[in-house]
Amino acid sequence: MNESRRIALLGLLVPGAVLVLWQVVAFAKSSPLFPGPIEVTQAIIRNWHEIVSNLGVTLMRAAAGFALATVIMVPLGIFLGRVRWLGEAVSPVIDLVATLPPPAIVPLVMLFAGTGDAAKIVIITYAAGMPLIMNTYEASHTIHPMFSRVARSLHLTRFETMLLIDLPSSLPMIATGARLAVASSLLVSITSEMLLATNGIGVYLQRSQENFQIGSGLAGIAFISAVGIVINALAYRIEQKLLFWHYRR
Amino acid sequence: MTPPLLRGPVRVAVALAVVLALWQAVHLAAIVPERYFPGIPAVLAAFGDMIASGDLLSGWALTFSRATIGLIAASLLGIGLAILSDLSPVFGRGFRYISDVLQPIPPAAFVPMAVFSLGLGTKLYAFVVILVTVWPPYLNGSAALEAVSPVQVATGRMLGCGRWTLLWRIKLPSAMPEIFAGIRYAATISLVAVVVSEMLSGSNGIGFMIYKKAFALRTADVFALMFVVGLNGVLMNGLVSLLRRGVVGWHQKMMERQE
Repeated sequence: MNESRRIALLGLLVPGAVLVLWQVVAFAKSSPLFPGPIEVTQAIIRNWHEIVSNLGVTLMRAAAGFALATVIMVPLGIFLGRVRWLGEAVSPVIDLVATLPPPAIVPLVMLFAGTGDAAKIVIITYAAGMPLIMNTYEASHTIHPMFSRVARSLHLTRFETMLLIDLPSSLPMIATGARLAVASSLLVSITSEMLLATNGIGVYLQRSQENFQIGSGLAGIAFISAVGIVINALAYRIEQKLLFWHYRR
Repeated sequence: MTPPLLRGPVRVAVALAVVLALWQAVHLAAIVPERYFPGIPAVLAAFGDMIASGDLLSGWALTFSRATIGLIAASLLGIGLAILSDLSPVFGRGFRYISDVLQPIPPAAFVPMAVFSLGLGTKLYAFVVILVTVWPPYLNGSAALEAVSPVQVATGRMLGCGRWTLLWRIKLPSAMPEIFAGIRYAATISLVAVVVSEMLSGSNGIGFMIYKKAFALRTADVFALMFVVGLNGVLMNGLVSLLRRGVVGWHQKMMERQE
């Protein structure tokens, strides 16, 4: 315990050294286009409100897209896992579609849905939906045959089997997919703003570039990183809490 | 459990046929205006035109080589950092702070900040791609190096291996399968990063072409290019698998024998 704490503390020297090096290079260059950590910290304080309000918009959209993806993809994945022939037919299609990275569908969505909230939420839903449906389908169609037999001997209907057997036993893998989905909805929310500018932290970053305010831009990136760490850690915590029965085994 | 009805390439081919048929059906039913949803023949024609003019091939070559070179550089860097982390636990712990901070940032966010320092050329692509692609090989590599079985390490020591021989002959080979799993994941990321960078501030490549065509409302071209992007992913995966068979083929054979 003591040893690992010592390593953790000594380890702080590594990012510390990077920061010092960065500051030295920035000092040597002394150009507003290459700000050092001190300038970035000042920019964080200066632009606090602007960044927070923009990031709020970004997070709202990410949450909406993630929620939509969960509501659509989890039931669909379980349905495909239970209705075998349909799953067999559809899963290669899913594999095929999954090779398309979210940014590649941006121009297409733009044609149908314009550049507003709807378009961005569609793109986030797509990005978050892929890991969700792949994991849900994988989990529910590789379910242990014993569970299906239990369901049959209890005279459960197909719908009840899906709700009471397939969903709970797929939850650990769905949770893994959800964690990937949380991370990617945040990433894609920002990317979609940069490609379809209206508002949000992505637009803030681009405006900083256009005004040659690289320090402010890096301040925005620092916020993104902090929020990402917090949200991903939170998702992990929630997973551990909700699935305590799975991890206790 | 029942074995799947179709396997491998047949499965993909059938899936592709189903998608294309559905597509054409939607097009013929004219639910969506022709302008936004061209039929398969129109997309194929657009594809043919772009190949004939040479745009597609040169754009594809740029995008694919950027992604491949970025992936190779990032993988080597990731493995190097993983080895360093294995040699020095303090560095490993310290670098984890850095990776935790950098990982949640999308590649698109780096582009506008780096443009002024790095310009619009190769340096920008290299920076962005490596910065987002290095993590899977690094994280997998350092976890796998840490997880090498103590029996193997002790055996190596008994046979008189020094620190470096131990690393080179025992630890790295046993970590390689994990590292390749990371590289495979990284391959997808590197393609995405290149396409996004091209969209945001490129002057050539597939990403730039998609964006330009979308604003010009050349829908058939956009669809054809999206198909190319998807194909790129498949191609990249194939290349990584091929390389993996060469480097860690022994591992795959062993796993098959165990099954």
